[in-house]
Amino acid sequence: MKKKILVVEDEESLRLLYEEELKSEGYEVFTAGNGREAIQQLEIGKPDLIILDIVMPVMDGMEALGRIVSGERKIPIILNTSYSGYQQDFMSWAADAYVTKSSDLNELKKKIRELLDKGKVR
Amino acid sequence: MLAMILAGGRGERLYPLTRDRAKPGVPFGAIYRIIDFTLSNCLNSGIRRIYALTQYKSTSLHRHIHLGWNILSAPLGEFIEAVPAQQRIDEHWYQGTADAIFQNIHILQVERPDLVLILSGDHIYKMDYRKMIAFHLEKEADMTVAAIRMDRNLSREFGVIEVDGDWRIIGFQEKPEEPKTIPKDPKGILASMGIYIFNTEVLVRRLIEDVRSDSSHDFGKDIIPMMIGKDQVFAFDFRQGDCGEAGYWRDVGTIDAYYEANMDLISVTPQLNLYDAQWPILTHQPTSPPAKTVWIEEGRVGTALNSIISNGCIISGGNVRRSLLSPNVKVHSFAEIEDSILLEGVDVGRNAKIKRTIIDKEVQIPPGMEIGYQIEEDAKRFTVTASGIVVVPKGIRL
Repeated sequence: MKKKILVVEDEESLRLLYEEELKSEGYEVFTAGNGREAIQQLEIGKPDLIILDIVMPVMDGMEALGRIVSGERKIPIILNTSYSGYQQDFMSWAADAYVTKSSDLNELKKKIRELLDKGKVR
Repeated sequence: MLAMILAGGRGERLYPLTRDRAKPGVPFGAIYRIIDFTLSNCLNSGIRRIYALTQYKSTSLHRHIHLGWNILSAPLGEFIEAVPAQQRIDEHWYQGTADAIFQNIHILQVERPDLVLILSGDHIYKMDYRKMIAFHLEKEADMTVAAIRMDRNLSREFGVIEVDGDWRIIGFQEKPEEPKTIPKDPKGILASMGIYIFNTEVLVRRLIEDVRSDSSHDFGKDIIPMMIGKDQVFAFDFRQGDCGEAGYWRDVGTIDAYYEANMDLISVTPQLNLYDAQWPILTHQPTSPPAKTVWIEEGRVGTALNSIISNGCIISGGNVRRSLLSPNVKVHSFAEIEDSILLEGVDVGRNAKIKRTIIDKEVQIPPGMEIGYQIEEDAKRFTVTASGIVVVPKGIRL
């Protein structure tokens, strides 16, 4: 069965890029435009992994992260942002990985594989 | 150093004293609230950045902290602040002691202390936390928990710590029936006092690990066991920091324990010394005139013997023996009070007789009423404990 990934990203162009790239990797992808939408999406379908932008309107990624890990404790989460400074934020330590945004998605894809493989072992 | 006091305890076994207030807000020793002891320990230990995390029925506690503890200097970076449960992260109330800290992780983020002292607002004791901090630093520990010797047969009430010869924690049992006893002391156990010092970064990492696992989110049940063998965890012997009080520490978790701990204070030499100028216990109390006794005539003498009488009390032709009177209690002529605890504003009418009874705030006892003499009758309308202590709740109309 295809693994489901939830992409949370406010920039539409990036959202589409991630969606296409990850679909071509064989994942099922659904998206949310901010933290609040992400939490609503979680109620509808349970993803196997979440890619979470930090700077977003309505509800930012850091707040969403806290809410997600308090509820859905086990879903792996990758924080994906253009700013590396957020690693100073204690809440960011709750994520399983921290990937800085780049036009090259190889690092992100690698992390996704790693975390999903780890999940299999569990 | 930042202190975080867990002040959300419901104190269910203290009902009805906790019907309208959280356990740390329950009055104690005539003029104090239970949380005053922990707060005073902090100040006397030089700790002046303090958050009290409240939850259930916190209005009374917030008022007390606001009125009584607004005494530090904000410009110097000092504060005592009561923080209500805010559901910042989760839409639930705190699910355990560790969750209470996790839900307030933003405080650690903003304050960025090197060490966090986590305390409970539920206990009566004096402790110099500086001794424990020095121990923590000397051992280069990640976490240190304060431990007190208790009798082995009380193990089911405590988290029981197992240490090696260096006081390193090598085992932890939560409320065990078969506890690990202290080496060379088969009748004793080391009980966790719910007092922890953490290196902040380790605390945050373990809290996050805990929140992402199936757990009851409790320091005793979950965090300490998780850290054993992985982090540097030590136990601190309370006797090294008990301010010369011979290991005095009371949970006052039940009405009977609460009653006994109060009654200790009226003995000639109480186990807990409230008169130590080196270790003052601070509180908020209303400004009231001094206590007084009146009437000295045939058959009508206002007396108070072996008792604690607070400001604003008037003993007007009644007799008070072996009792604690909070501020503004009135005892009218020919009334008799024995072995009892009367909280603020209680009014005892003429000829009333009160024995082995706790009367909550502002209750008016009508003239001639007897409480504590016929336990079976009392039990029909009041809470009566196994040892026969009667509790008259706040707001009751008699």
